[in-house]
Amino acid sequence: MATATETGKNIGHITQVIGSTFDVEFSETHLPAIYNAVKIQSSHKGISISLSGEVQQHLGGGRVRCVALGSTDGMMRGQECIDTGAPVSVPVGEATLGRVFNLNGEPVDGRGPVEAQEHWPIHRPAPPVSELSTSTELFETGIKVIDLLTPFVRGGKAGLFGGAGLGKTVILTELIARIASSHGGYSVFAGVGERTREGTDLWLEMQETEIGQTGRKVIEQTCMVFGQMNEPPGARLRVALSALTMAEYFRDTTGKDTLLFVDNIFRFSQAGSEVSALLGRMPSAVGYQPTLATEMGALQERIASTDKGAITSVQAVYVPADDPTDPAPATAFGQLDAFLYLERSISEKGIYPAVDPLASSSRILDPQYVGERHYRIARRVQTILQRYRELQDIIAILGVDELSEEDRQVVHRARRIERFLSQPFLVAEVFTGKPGEITPLEDTIRSFEEICDGKWDHLPEQAFMYVGPVEQAEEQAKKMEANA
Amino acid sequence: MANARALDKRRKSIKNIRKITRTMELIATARFKQAMDRASAATAYTNRVTGLVANLANTGMQLSHPLLESRDNPRTSLQLVLTSNRGLCGGYNGNVLRMASDNQQQLSDEYPTSLLEVSGKRGVTYFENRQTALAEAFLQFEDKPKYEEVERIADRYLDAYATGIIDRLDVCYTKFSSIARQEATVETLLPLGTLVDDPSDLATGSEGQGEIEFLPSAESILQEVVPMSFKVKLFKCFLDAAVSEQVARMVAMKSATENADELIRELSMTYNRARQGQITGELLEVMGGVEALKN
Repeated sequence: MATATETGKNIGHITQVIGSTFDVEFSETHLPAIYNAVKIQSSHKGISISLSGEVQQHLGGGRVRCVALGSTDGMMRGQECIDTGAPVSVPVGEATLGRVFNLNGEPVDGRGPVEAQEHWPIHRPAPPVSELSTSTELFETGIKVIDLLTPFVRGGKAGLFGGAGLGKTVILTELIARIASSHGGYSVFAGVGERTREGTDLWLEMQETEIGQTGRKVIEQTCMVFGQMNEPPGARLRVALSALTMAEYFRDTTGKDTLLFVDNIFRFSQAGSEVSALLGRMPSAVGYQPTLATEMGALQERIASTDKGAITSVQAVYVPADDPTDPAPATAFGQLDAFLYLERSISEKGIYPAVDPLASSSRILDPQYVGERHYRIARRVQTILQRYRELQDIIAILGVDELSEEDRQVVHRARRIERFLSQPFLVAEVFTGKPGEITPLEDTIRSFEEICDGKWDHLPEQAFMYVGPVEQAEEQAKKMEANA
Repeated sequence: MANARALDKRRKSIKNIRKITRTMELIATARFKQAMDRASAATAYTNRVTGLVANLANTGMQLSHPLLESRDNPRTSLQLVLTSNRGLCGGYNGNVLRMASDNQQQLSDEYPTSLLEVSGKRGVTYFENRQTALAEAFLQFEDKPKYEEVERIADRYLDAYATGIIDRLDVCYTKFSSIARQEATVETLLPLGTLVDDPSDLATGSEGQGEIEFLPSAESILQEVVPMSFKVKLFKCFLDAAVSEQVARMVAMKSATENADELIRELSMTYNRARQGQITGELLEVMGGVEALKN
């Protein structure tokens, strides 16, 4: 049956198709290795199929089980399947900049073929411990709540956790607008299982945004890889690796700082769970694949900064049913340096970014890295908000009048701090009509210190909504007074 | 979906709070009745005194007494603030203290020295927090203020006024008009100004049985009756404050209990849903496992 032809091609035949997985029978002496890509190219009764798959299991007797990286529509038993002899490879290097790819490294932007010097396989080992970079430096974003409470690490990983519709993608786009536009290195964007429309929006926006004052567009320094919602699970499972491989190339060969944006890493776990049962694995907690942590670990460990160069990554993580204890987000959580949790109750108050200041944290919010003053003020802000949250039940039952003097002051300031954590975004300017605010870290720290000290207790709460440094709150208060 | 155990814990703590507020509500209701009786008894006495004064006024003689006249060159003011010793009475203390603070601000603008005396723990801590010095603090007044104790304070004020230590006395307290209406008010008790507050009092007092003869003289009666009128007025303030406190507590605790009920109901719903979700999830896992093992 299976034959190695004269041309050296290793050809097998499809024996079974189950959803987005399929079995292929090869000759027992020419089994393709695990993670090898297999290709199916055929035309039968006018239906042409071009599909690649990835070998996942050896079933015995020459049979291998593969995950389809495209739609399995029209597949039939007996069709020929060619072992490519290597894992899926994607083009890497300067030629990829400004282009949009699918997970196979094929351009999908309709701008002709990509002339890349090199192709790298998407399965690669994580950099060894000895090469990992150990420097820790704060990465300023100009967003108050992030810089103060969850400072990002240069060359580190940051996660945006949140349920449906809390603005994960908006924050991610905002970060791209802020960071990529002032960033000298390369950026890679991975769209994993999210809306295709959002990808297109981002692509168009990057073509318009300039990098600083250079006159060059952000897209010229960026490559994008998409495997969106409409793709089968195999594609969504591997697209993150394709993007990561491109970022790795920039890190290892150019040595420039590279940015990797992933929206949404949860879809990667979800795609894994979709194919897991089809591959015959027993479901584990909440129906996820038993290999959840392994898969996530293999991906995340590769997103690392080495002595050759740094990858700074920002990832959105969907939190199903607003439950952060769900295994998928919980597994991602452990891998990150900075961690932003978006909270529904905050977004319901109309405060965006809806970052929960108490659930979010960062590894470097430590006097050793951010300095004594920054650390002290961040903790003070958290203490005040924590106390406010504890008091909320009492306020709901007995009313604010029953609080002691100190508690009432805490509530008073907490409500102002809560609102002051909102900020107008560059990318939301068209919706809010307010220009985006980039607040320098020093202004952020000073503003919060003054609010904690009670210097701005006299301003109305509403004045603290959507401003930059605290002086703007004062202006807004004056404006409100004039209008009243 | 939040953790079912955390939800249950929170619900238990709210249930405990509800127990407290419910009990406080019942106690306040009982105390309110007693305080109300005492206040209405005192009202009868106050009315009688007012009636007497009205009769004096009717004699047509010139009423003049040092306690009635404001001084030309006032130097010192004194404000007495009546608050409660206990909390859990809604906005009762807050309202009085807010008004008292405003009034104190005004007084200190008008007078070179303005003193402050406070009754009730709540008020004392409030002013301590604001670093306002208190000339005197009373903590002995609960829901049944005694006349003797109030009289002692009243005597002290009369002495201080007579000797020129103070030139004005304001009392800030919660005036009780009805069960549905209590208001924080500031009343100036010294100088007394007029003996008869408003003409309606005069009318009720004067539906008399003709002329009353004062012996030995109207003058000497006046000497007696003016200080007494002041004391009675002050005592009335204390009684009003006590009644209002109980009413405020009753209302506050009633709404607190209702709020707690509401919260418990919502939490129970979320808790049940979370619990059900947990069970469903576990069942699904077991069944999924069984299915997978079959193959």
